[in-house]
Amino acid sequence: MYFNANDVTSFLAQKDFIDTAIVPLVGIDFAAEKLKQSGAEADYLLSLTAFIEQQFKGRLLVMPPFSYSTTLKNEELPAQLEAQLHTAGFKHVFFITCDRFWTNIGDVVNIIWLPAIPLESMDKGVKNTILEDQLRQVIPIFSTKWSQI
Amino acid sequence: MSNNRVSRRQFLSYTLTGVGGFMAAGMLMPMVRFAIDPVLQKHEGGDFIKTEHKVADITEEPIKVDFTFEQVDAWYKSDVTNVAWVYKSGDQIIALSPVCKHLGCMVDWGGDKAYPDQFFCPCHAGRYEKNGANIAGTPPLGPLDEFEVQEKDGYLMIGPARANTLV
Repeated sequence: MYFNANDVTSFLAQKDFIDTAIVPLVGIDFAAEKLKQSGAEADYLLSLTAFIEQQFKGRLLVMPPFSYSTTLKNEELPAQLEAQLHTAGFKHVFFITCDRFWTNIGDVVNIIWLPAIPLESMDKGVKNTILEDQLRQVIPIFSTKWSQI
Repeated sequence: MSNNRVSRRQFLSYTLTGVGGFMAAGMLMPMVRFAIDPVLQKHEGGDFIKTEHKVADITEEPIKVDFTFEQVDAWYKSDVTNVAWVYKSGDQIIALSPVCKHLGCMVDWGGDKAYPDQFFCPCHAGRYEKNGANIAGTPPLGPLDEFEVQEKDGYLMIGPARANTLV
């Protein structure tokens, strides 16, 4: 489910079933030489998140991407966000990112860190296969968390 | 001098008839087109979409088949890839929609090790029989949708989804 009026309505009606929130953490680096790289990362991350959403539509709510520039980056933010999402009724909160920085706080919140794969030069078929492979790596992370209750 | 000389009067009358004819045709043609418009409308060759899979290669084991179609949202065109679970049952080809009837996740064939011959939804452990029937006691409340199928030049064509006819 996405964070829009329709899907949020179904979330409110099916709170018992939709118990997972996923927050993409998108870093934006405005330095001229890093700008392109950070664009590629954002593209990859959002494509992958959309793919995950398609697969697990009925159990997760994908939050709008949480974007920050280098100076706004703050180690405490994900934990605060997680606490609020827990209050809102989500049992599981995952942060998905391509930014290595967040692996530091991997033991405080659930961080899924993936190295970005540049998708811009690929045609649609290759892109789908790559995303499917990546998805297969992410699925176990969700299923182990889900089976822990 | 040849015998059939064209007089000035004749020449002018031929020319006027010709030009007049073109003008009349120019006005009438669009009118005729409007009148017979329904006949001229393009047919999109049905709603069946060709896949990369040959019908002969399909076995009793369900496989994932991708099919891509162009979706037009106002002026924005995009390619949408859809998936179907396709298998053979007797002589019949069955194509089932992978969208779980519970909350819309993607089901997987044999995704649960304990039930290798069923469709499994990883979100809330919903299960379906091979023909798409939902298994009582799991969250889904209805059977998986079915796609209409056709064969063309040996390739599988997938059509619109409809309610499951096998259950």
